[in-house]
Amino acid sequence: MSRVEAKKPSLCITEPLTKDVVHQSLSVLSGALKSCYGPAGRLKQLHNGMGGCVCTTSQSSAVLRCLPVSHPILKVLTASVQNHISRFSDCGLFTAILCCSLIENFKSINFLSCTVIKISKHLLNLCTDYLRSEACGCRVSVDFSNLETLFCLVRSILTSKPACMLSKTEVDHLTTLIVKAFLLTVPCHVETNAVLGKCIIVPVKGRRVVDSTVFPGLLLETPENQLAKPLSVKRTSSNVIKIALFCVSMSGDLFNPEEGSITVHHGISLEMSELDQLLNVGKQLVNDEIGLVVCQKVIHPSLKQYLKENHVVAVDRAGLSVMEPLSQMTGSKPIASIYSFSPSCYGSLKDVCAESFASKHFVHLIPNDTVVCSLMLCNRNETTWDELKRAYETAEHVLQLTLKEPLALLGGGCTETHLASYIRHKSYNLSTSSFKAIDCSQTQYQLVADAFCRSLESVACSLNHDDGDIFTDMVYGHCWLVPSGFSSVSSWSDLVLKCGCGINNNTQNLNWRVLQSQFSSPVLQSCPKEPSVKATDFLTLDCFAAKCSGLQVAVETANLILDLSCIIEDQN
Amino acid sequence: LAMAFREVNARRHVGLQQLSALALAGRMLLGPMKSYKFVVDESTNESVLTCSAVRLIESLDLSSAAGQLLNETIQAQNKEFKTGMSTLLFLVGAWSNAVLECLQQNVPVSVIVSVMSEGLDSCCEKVQCLQLSIHDVNKELCSSSVRTNIFENKTSQVPSKSLLNPQVCFQKGISASEEVALPRNAHSHPEDSCNFSNSCLVSTLTGFGSIASLVKPVDDKSKSVISGSGVITSSYNKKKLSHSRYFSTLAKSNFPSHLGNFKGYLSGQSAYPCDCGGFGHLAIGLSHGNQTSVKLLQNIVAYQQQRAECSGSSQFNITEIVTCCLLGLPESYSCVCPGFITLVLPEQATVIKYLQGKPLCILLMDGDLTEQYRHLGFNRPRSVRTILEPPSAHEGRSGDLWLSSVLDVLIRFEVNLILVKGNVCEKLMERCIANNILVIGSVTLNVLHAFGEVSGAQPVTYLTQLNARYLGSGAQVELWRACDGRAMELGELVPVSIKVQGIPLLTAMLTTAVASKMQLVEDQFWTFVYRLHHALNEGKVFLGGGAVELLCLSHIQMLAEQSLKPASTNAEKEFHNPSGLAASSTEYKSVVLQALASGWNQYLSVVLCNSAKATSGFEAHTLIKRHLKKAADCGSPSAYILKEFRRGGMIQSSSDPFADPGESLNVYDNVTAKMEAWRRALDLVLLVLQTDAEIITGPKRNQLLNSHVSGEFMFL
Repeated sequence: MSRVEAKKPSLCITEPLTKDVVHQSLSVLSGALKSCYGPAGRLKQLHNGMGGCVCTTSQSSAVLRCLPVSHPILKVLTASVQNHISRFSDCGLFTAILCCSLIENFKSINFLSCTVIKISKHLLNLCTDYLRSEACGCRVSVDFSNLETLFCLVRSILTSKPACMLSKTEVDHLTTLIVKAFLLTVPCHVETNAVLGKCIIVPVKGRRVVDSTVFPGLLLETPENQLAKPLSVKRTSSNVIKIALFCVSMSGDLFNPEEGSITVHHGISLEMSELDQLLNVGKQLVNDEIGLVVCQKVIHPSLKQYLKENHVVAVDRAGLSVMEPLSQMTGSKPIASIYSFSPSCYGSLKDVCAESFASKHFVHLIPNDTVVCSLMLCNRNETTWDELKRAYETAEHVLQLTLKEPLALLGGGCTETHLASYIRHKSYNLSTSSFKAIDCSQTQYQLVADAFCRSLESVACSLNHDDGDIFTDMVYGHCWLVPSGFSSVSSWSDLVLKCGCGINNNTQNLNWRVLQSQFSSPVLQSCPKEPSVKATDFLTLDCFAAKCSGLQVAVETANLILDLSCIIEDQN
Repeated sequence: LAMAFREVNARRHVGLQQLSALALAGRMLLGPMKSYKFVVDESTNESVLTCSAVRLIESLDLSSAAGQLLNETIQAQNKEFKTGMSTLLFLVGAWSNAVLECLQQNVPVSVIVSVMSEGLDSCCEKVQCLQLSIHDVNKELCSSSVRTNIFENKTSQVPSKSLLNPQVCFQKGISASEEVALPRNAHSHPEDSCNFSNSCLVSTLTGFGSIASLVKPVDDKSKSVISGSGVITSSYNKKKLSHSRYFSTLAKSNFPSHLGNFKGYLSGQSAYPCDCGGFGHLAIGLSHGNQTSVKLLQNIVAYQQQRAECSGSSQFNITEIVTCCLLGLPESYSCVCPGFITLVLPEQATVIKYLQGKPLCILLMDGDLTEQYRHLGFNRPRSVRTILEPPSAHEGRSGDLWLSSVLDVLIRFEVNLILVKGNVCEKLMERCIANNILVIGSVTLNVLHAFGEVSGAQPVTYLTQLNARYLGSGAQVELWRACDGRAMELGELVPVSIKVQGIPLLTAMLTTAVASKMQLVEDQFWTFVYRLHHALNEGKVFLGGGAVELLCLSHIQMLAEQSLKPASTNAEKEFHNPSGLAASSTEYKSVVLQALASGWNQYLSVVLCNSAKATSGFEAHTLIKRHLKKAADCGSPSAYILKEFRRGGMIQSSSDPFADPGESLNVYDNVTAKMEAWRRALDLVLLVLQTDAEIITGPKRNQLLNSHVSGEFMFL
């Protein structure tokens, strides 16, 4: 008999944001995330403290996944950032840092939360409207006929992940490969609903990064001994290779009923009967002139041998991830039963050949018309490879998002400072009717707007990790980094050649001022200008869709957290 | 669950300190004169003798995050190259210390990272000029007459009993399977050729004593005659021909008028116009003082080149080499034998004696040979019950049934020899011994392949698959005997030699009388094999013996001097600092570059001290400085280093720290392996440097919360 325990009453915490512990945890979290931000960001070692594998990273996706926070407020924050990351892959740190700063700055002005929320929503609308307008001075349009902008986007992502340990030439090499791989997945002939193809990553750990390559078609890894040398594949009379794709296990084991049991008589072997069935499948495949059999799971060695004798190439353990691209690229339907299947499931290939890299062996499937490619991704060891893979996935996703919406935002902190100067300018020139509409005074509005702008600027400030200084100019509202130990020098403007995104240089007098989040900044007389030259070579660019969403998620999450009035915790 | 979060102190970076402490253990592993190290586990009193970074790291406590990363880095280098791990480990330590010093001087982390990695890139580019193509290496070694003496010195130094013994086991081994015919003219003057002083390898041969005169003349045949079968029965005394690759090429170079007879050789040689024993010399340069392995590898190279000439296969094939470790014989018994040699149970010796001399039917299995074995991915059905028929229907237990069915199959197909990739059922082993079937388990895949290729056998997974087509024929077994004819009774296991005519496999028999050295000997052998493999694959080597590191030092010195001169124009600024920061790092730059240089500086000085060429670190530094000065004075440091190091023997001992007068042979290093080791070491240091916090997840977090170190952590 188990003892019955009395239920504990639920714990209710009112005004959670005013508690010290929340404040502390929030600032630890914010500090940790800020330290990760940007190309000079610091890395975090994630491990279990008991000799398990160590993940060294500065990417929000990895850090937030491994960082199980206990406080409900932090949980709300990390959950919404993670949700943003799952939809956009990029700008996770931006979102999280902005959100933390907004909470801190809004809390410090001590207004009723509903007023703050109303005003901040209005500010958010100002921002998004500006970003989406033609007049926006911090965005560039992406021209797909000129690859340079795409290169900039990808390069910016790779260089902002220092734990990949890439040198300049390696970044350039990978940038080209990633863009190439992406372009291979774009179908040439677009019908009514175009579907992007897929790029499969083939991991090769231990090799130099510059050994990475892209292959059109698909590389399937096989053990060396399975392939006959030289690889000869049976072709049909029309000179194509017929392929059968199985998603069911062909290892000859029985299906495993969850419950109940099968009773057989002594002398009857279920294994043998299963194998007989498999060999029948083999006969059918041979009769149907199949040249290549790919199985997602395992093929019984006897069947493999039978196929080999009949000059059919068999590849097993292909894995779930290649099934969809494989069927897309060959036009075959995955066969889910070894008892009956129709020849209409078969697909075709242009060519099949054997390749080997490092100590691995592959079958290279070459389709007629490809939207599928394989990226053989190399990096020197496990840790850096894992980080590179995450970076690649982000880059791939960003390119896809950019294809949908061919815009990019200036990176390197310039979008944040530019937006901040735009909002400052706007908030001073707002008509009184607008204040009435949101039901607040002009002072209130301006204080909240200032907190909002300081939060944006604090994201830009997070790019700086070595006690340097960050400046913004009064013309374009861009962001300028000065390394430590020089700000006292009168001619420090000589030290900086280019702004964060690389679009402006310091040839003209731009009237710089120090950007520090504790002081509020002077207001521009006019809107921050758009840079005169929009040369798009070697710019730091950010994904438009991801950053817009990040801004939105950060403001809305901050509002939600400000609005929390009590936490009820079930203690049972 | 929540996380524990620990900030790393920026000034006294804990991770870097851990790295440097771990790497300190590897100091004595550098250079050709290594010192062995005993690693003792205090709790169990077990100890391990190590002489390589990989084995050392394997036996250290690496629970810290930095330790884990170090282990991962070393393993990755080992997996990819099998060489350069000691260099890597050492540089990790040296650079960690250097970076810690930079931090002490308040150099910003981002400057350290960018300057160091750019510096390394620049050095890697610079040292390209010290690459020598293999072709040049061979040519140079051949043309140098000075070297003959050196080689004589070298070979006479080999403390090998077998060298004094005319029946050197390698020669015996080779002759057992292949008797290579040489044109009679080519070897009517074997003694002459031995004295021929223009070829260094000849003098190596003189070290082998009377073997040279054992070469048996065969009438003019232009191709190799392979007469493998039947050799086993003849005793080793009768085998007269001991073919040596050096010998045949020597003959060729000495008697150009007979070139026409050598079609086979010519085609094989075209890639190496200088045909002084192929890359036998290169091997010496890459051996870094490991003399036992040099002998073994030269034999392997000779054998494989000769095969390559016959078959057109690649010249040095690493997958055709296996090792067999024999404990209890002195190291001088190490040798290379064609075919596959492995250790079997003493009970199987009788089977071998029975099978000896007969052509055998061979079966290859790529799984286990047990009743329970199923191929990978097969899920055993859990809920099947078998109903037994009336008692008369079953005889014996199911296990016996399987045994007898297996034996039935084996006997029906007249299988004599089974090579199994996995384990073998013990009962089956007994039954096979009783039936005179030799079963050998744990055979690697490349061995199975080699046997498959020459015997026509195809590996099967289950015996039920078996079909006469999958069997191979013509295998031979014999008990392996050491070169002095002594049969092995070394305790529990007996070496057996298995061959099929024309099999490309070579077994390196590694012998040692000291049990704790066995692993070490094997590791060293493989390291050397891989070094040669990489050298041939890349087609180039670095001038070794510290030349590359010295050039890096002088190059960095120059970069540091340049960085102190202010850039005059804006354009120039931009050129030097594409990141957009102009004057930013210049004041730190030379500090950081010095830190990078200190890695190689320490490397050189430790190598000098370890090999007793300098008695103290101070003396070593003085020597290095003197060389650097000379290089700088010379105007072109790379030219100076090339000149000085290339003429190995010309540099006189007292002035040159890197060449020992006794063995002023050229030393070579692998190109990619070396530069990758540098890069990996620096990457690791910079990765740890850029880490500012550890995040500990999982159950350990609660332990930390309650432990005395909880103050170091933040809990969210």
